[in-house]
Amino acid sequence: MAFDDTTRAARAPRLNMRTRRALWVWAFLALPVLFYGVIRFYPTLDAFRLSFTNWNLMSPPKFIGLQNYREMFASPDFWQVFRNTFAYLIIGTPISLLLSFTVAYFLDRIRFGHAFLRALYFLPYITTASAMAWVWRWFYQPAPTGVINSVLGAMGIGGMDFLRSTTWALPSIMVTAIWAGLGFQVIIFMAGLRSIPQTYYEAARIDGVGDWAILRKITLPLLKPTTVFLVVFSSIGFLRIFDQVYNMTTNDPGGPLGSTKPLVLMIYQTAFNSYQMGAAAAQTVVLFTILLLISLLQLWILRNR
Amino acid sequence: MATIQLNKLTKAYGKAEVIHGIDLDIPDGEFVVFVGPSGCGKSTTLRMIAGLEEVSGGDITIGGRRVNEVDPKQRDIAMVFQNYAIYPHMSVRQNIAFGLYTSKLSKEEKAKRVEAAAETLGLTALLERRPSALSGGQRQRVAIGRAMVRNPAAFLFDEPLSNLDAQLRAQMRIEIKALHQRLGTTIAYVTHDQVEAMTMADRIVVMRDGHILQAAPPMEIYDNPVDIFTARFIGTPSMNIFPARQADGQVSLTDGAPSVMAGVRPQDLKVAATGTGMAVSLEGVVTVTEPLGHETLVHFSTRGGHDFIATAPGHFGASPGDTVQAQAAAGTVHLFDPVSEKAVGRA
Repeated sequence: MAFDDTTRAARAPRLNMRTRRALWVWAFLALPVLFYGVIRFYPTLDAFRLSFTNWNLMSPPKFIGLQNYREMFASPDFWQVFRNTFAYLIIGTPISLLLSFTVAYFLDRIRFGHAFLRALYFLPYITTASAMAWVWRWFYQPAPTGVINSVLGAMGIGGMDFLRSTTWALPSIMVTAIWAGLGFQVIIFMAGLRSIPQTYYEAARIDGVGDWAILRKITLPLLKPTTVFLVVFSSIGFLRIFDQVYNMTTNDPGGPLGSTKPLVLMIYQTAFNSYQMGAAAAQTVVLFTILLLISLLQLWILRNR
Repeated sequence: MATIQLNKLTKAYGKAEVIHGIDLDIPDGEFVVFVGPSGCGKSTTLRMIAGLEEVSGGDITIGGRRVNEVDPKQRDIAMVFQNYAIYPHMSVRQNIAFGLYTSKLSKEEKAKRVEAAAETLGLTALLERRPSALSGGQRQRVAIGRAMVRNPAAFLFDEPLSNLDAQLRAQMRIEIKALHQRLGTTIAYVTHDQVEAMTMADRIVVMRDGHILQAAPPMEIYDNPVDIFTARFIGTPSMNIFPARQADGQVSLTDGAPSVMAGVRPQDLKVAATGTGMAVSLEGVVTVTEPLGHETLVHFSTRGGHDFIATAPGHFGASPGDTVQAQAAAGTVHLFDPVSEKAVGRA
């Protein structure tokens, strides 16, 4: 055996070192690549093809050109959903980031109860979305079942029809979504804050710079990578909102009168209630395009200059 | 321009006291270097002067004003940190100007000061660069620039050269010293490197375990260390310390109960020196030689197992295993009390 080994070592290896290393790397990468290729990327690409067809799962897909898109863009329901989706995004993302940064900024400064509070903020993030949605649904009930309306009543303010009002249903659902994602954002912001060297602050204090100026001139600029990540992450989250809406409006998903319906829920209904796979694929392509554009736009706005 | 006075200064974290009532007067314009091993309290002392740590007891006065409860920014001091603390998202110009952020000077005046500081520090060509495009030495110069523009009453340096390589450190040492000679501002400087202390200080403050052991000019400390710790800490290589007995002008190594601890600097302990009036004579086996060019350090071990470092001329032929003799002239041997370790004179 020993003789064998030495002769093999003495012979020049057939592949050079770089090729051999690349082979090893790809051997380990093969499984995820295969998984993503077959389970994720292929269906994604196929959705583009299906969006040009009429398909009800029973008969083979029939090519109909741009008709799915024409119908979609002509439908007022689609534009309602489009507006809803952007309402979640444009109101939800800034509010949740502002809240989570404020919490992280102050939580970072306290020692007493720090770990406990952090756990408390993080708890909603690891709780099942549907369970949380149901709890919030009860909160929003009319008095005496609903806590919020009971409190409002006790303060002498009339009850509010949170989930049954076309005006208030969307904000009410958004509050629960913001709350659910807050813990994660707080943790990420705190990690970002911790990574800023303490001497930066000490140097600023000696230079006599006030708290507000330190926040604006030092903390926020140095926190930019964290912020970029969270803006993109949170935007994608709000654009794909589904669980909260579906579970809080089960009687009429996306209601009342479609006032809370986001794009993902519409896709779900088109595909699995109406079995219009082609139309659902067209809606998916729209969602994909929006996600892509928003992400690229944010990366461009927050890029390093 | 300001004097800094520490009066019975103490610092405690909970029940653990780390600075035990130190007294020190730093006159206006003096360059004082705090030196000591890690954990000796030198950085804590500096941070208390800066106002970054609260004072537990005693007083700090700057320019005659008691500043114990005064905010850092009201103390009229500037500080330079070990990791430079210059902001990566700002250009060199913005970083230096940040020292004037709260200043009421006009924009032109601020710009002029930034330019002047950059000129002094040789940063003019780099003003528009980001810190990431600078070398370690240049970054530290930016940090010094930010401190300079404020025209503070005193500069505080917290191990400013520790992150630099040896060559840059030597160069920056000279630059900071020259800067002090030009500006004449009081400087309190913390380092664990005794070479920095020796070369830069007007006065060295040797600290250990929260006490000041000795505060004196560099050569005074080198010539007359007050105790064994200071004697070994200042000077490279460290002073040889050995248990000894003293008899008619001769100090001899002993393995029995010593009457005195003797100390000889390697520079004073010469291999193969001959002559009269030698206070110490030692014989041992060479373990290692370190040729430095102008001289050779000879490490040898006596029969009793005591290790010594002696010096020999540059071209010295001995190799490990050879037996050598080393002598120190009268007057070069430091004597310390074996119990208290305090200096008791020379032989």
